[in-house]
Amino acid sequence: MSNLFSTQEIGSLPKAPWFLSYLRGRNLEQSDLDHLEKWSNTASFEGKHETLEILSQTRTAAKELRLRQLASLFGVRFLESTGLDIVYDGEANRIEMYEHAIKNANGFKFYGRVRSFDNRYYRKAACVQRVGFRFAYHSDEFEYVLKQAKKQVKVPITGPYTLAEWSFNEYYLERLMRKSADLRAIKEQAKREFLLDIANEMLRPNLESLVRAGASWVQIDEPALATRPEDIPLFVEAFNECTHGIDCKFSVHICYSNYQSLYPHILELKNCNQLALEFANRDTSRESAYDQLRLMKDAGDTREIGLGVLDVHVNSIEEPKVVMTRILNAARFIEADKIYVNPDCGLRTRPWDVAYDKLCNMVAGAKLAREAIGASR
Amino acid sequence: MQKFHLTGNFPRPEPLIEVTRQLDRGRASESEVQGHLDHSVNELLELQMSNKLDILVDGQLNWQDLFRPFIDLLAGLKPGTLTRWFDNNTFYRRPIVVDRIKRAEMPLTKYYRHDLIPEGRGKAIMPGPYTFAKLSENAAYSSFADLVDDLAHSLASISRELTSSGYRFLQLNEPSLCTATIEELEIARRGFDILAKSSPRIMLQTYFGSVSHIKDKLVDFPVDCIGVDLYANDLSIFENGSVTTDISCGCIDGRNSLVEPVDRTVELVTKMIDAVAPHQVYVGPNCDLEFLPYVVAAKKVQLLGAVRRSLNRE
Repeated sequence: MSNLFSTQEIGSLPKAPWFLSYLRGRNLEQSDLDHLEKWSNTASFEGKHETLEILSQTRTAAKELRLRQLASLFGVRFLESTGLDIVYDGEANRIEMYEHAIKNANGFKFYGRVRSFDNRYYRKAACVQRVGFRFAYHSDEFEYVLKQAKKQVKVPITGPYTLAEWSFNEYYLERLMRKSADLRAIKEQAKREFLLDIANEMLRPNLESLVRAGASWVQIDEPALATRPEDIPLFVEAFNECTHGIDCKFSVHICYSNYQSLYPHILELKNCNQLALEFANRDTSRESAYDQLRLMKDAGDTREIGLGVLDVHVNSIEEPKVVMTRILNAARFIEADKIYVNPDCGLRTRPWDVAYDKLCNMVAGAKLAREAIGASR
Repeated sequence: MQKFHLTGNFPRPEPLIEVTRQLDRGRASESEVQGHLDHSVNELLELQMSNKLDILVDGQLNWQDLFRPFIDLLAGLKPGTLTRWFDNNTFYRRPIVVDRIKRAEMPLTKYYRHDLIPEGRGKAIMPGPYTFAKLSENAAYSSFADLVDDLAHSLASISRELTSSGYRFLQLNEPSLCTATIEELEIARRGFDILAKSSPRIMLQTYFGSVSHIKDKLVDFPVDCIGVDLYANDLSIFENGSVTTDISCGCIDGRNSLVEPVDRTVELVTKMIDAVAPHQVYVGPNCDLEFLPYVVAAKKVQLLGAVRRSLNRE
């Protein structure tokens, strides 16, 4: 019973304000120090004094590197303190899931920001040369987290389809434009060439490096998936290319998409053990979002599910009972031992206290669900 | 003579993005944001005028998405969950229809900047009644058709106010029409009947999809111009004299940073002029330019200017 409904994070946390002030060269404010004090105590963060020391000293490259490690450790301890079973570091040293990967690969150029929603923007790059591997941009971060974590570690990494879909494809399109006048056909071919180059030339060397460093579970983040239902087979091809033959547990995180469009193609993913999906955002009093899991059942998909039970776009805190109900709703369609419990997506847009309370309640809700399942068995 | 225009939201320039972020973090005031906003709208108008665009838009720079202003401007709606905007990495808040829809007391000036646009050249943009209803969550009306009708009446009321304020063009965005059923097209057309004559010139803008299967029905819509996304359609849809209105030719891709070659675009527009004759061709992007960074969107406006100069042999 104890391993039923294991709880996991999905990826990002907000940046710690003291870390952000340091990175931006701003003077520390009292609120930064209060944040460090409060969460160091709550999360039993052993690096508080060293952090304060570095923050008070003249900046050097070595000190900045060490502070980056401490920010990572802070994220690990924060997540561990909520009671999660599977953790990472809240992506403490990544600028953002897309930009971090693209900045550390070859072939891209940034022009500026585009809107994601409301006043939220991201820097969108254009691919202006053939995509290439520059260096293993997650390996140092992972090795440090693995060494420090007291819980199981899962590495989140942005997937090939999302990196392609969130970029402008200039290089592959322009190259083909010289050969044909059929704009629509060119666009499709250019998309495929771009995506497969990201999978093979950029992501695969990163995945191989992570596994060599000891990664046993990698979560491929594909929030862009199902943006274009007709592209699902293309994603499957890219996923299979970049994970083929790599000895590791792989999961795929997908959110804010029409899950119906995933099937049946997604059954062809060869090396994928879990689908981690967003549901809480679409769960209403009138309709249970978890009924959508019938899709998996009907398709005969027997993989694990990472069940989104926290809405990451609102500050209201889900009660443990709400989390429990969501899990039990899901258990009507999926074997209980295949259900992992997680937020809908990364929590980077929520304040720290909101993220903490949400995760604690998620852990408590999973416990309630375990008890309820135990009582009914 | 063809006319040049933009067809939707323009991206915010970097200083405006920054100040809105600061506002969210409590580090900037509403008046600071307003100052940046006014400056940015003026800058965009200047960009359009210097490239000799015929019809001018304010860029909807403070709209969070196509529907959000109408949550304020209309009673009976509230913002719902974040939802993907078609096949883009952009999300809108799905409107929830909680009560009968009608015009609210809120003035239009917050969302329509006719105070800054030269008299007689402004185009107002709003969601069409069909797409509005289709992309909302209906928790108040017993039938979809009734919802479309009430939305059309409310939008017509806003359109009449905008016309009184000096707008000469109204663009109704209807991307969802590209996937409408025959029955839904009839409901949509009735909505447009309600909106007809609320503005001197009404443009129905489709995008993100093909209109080949609905074009025979679109000719019945009481509009002056139909916008077509040429990155989702090919020119064959205009063959055999099927054109009965002016056409807005979406030949600049609002979703790719690659700036189209001038000669290639001129060639495309020339073909459109022949295909659409004797009706008028409006030349512009296929959709909003807000999917591009500001600097790239500005280059696409300059491209429109270059295409215009080439076509007019200026």
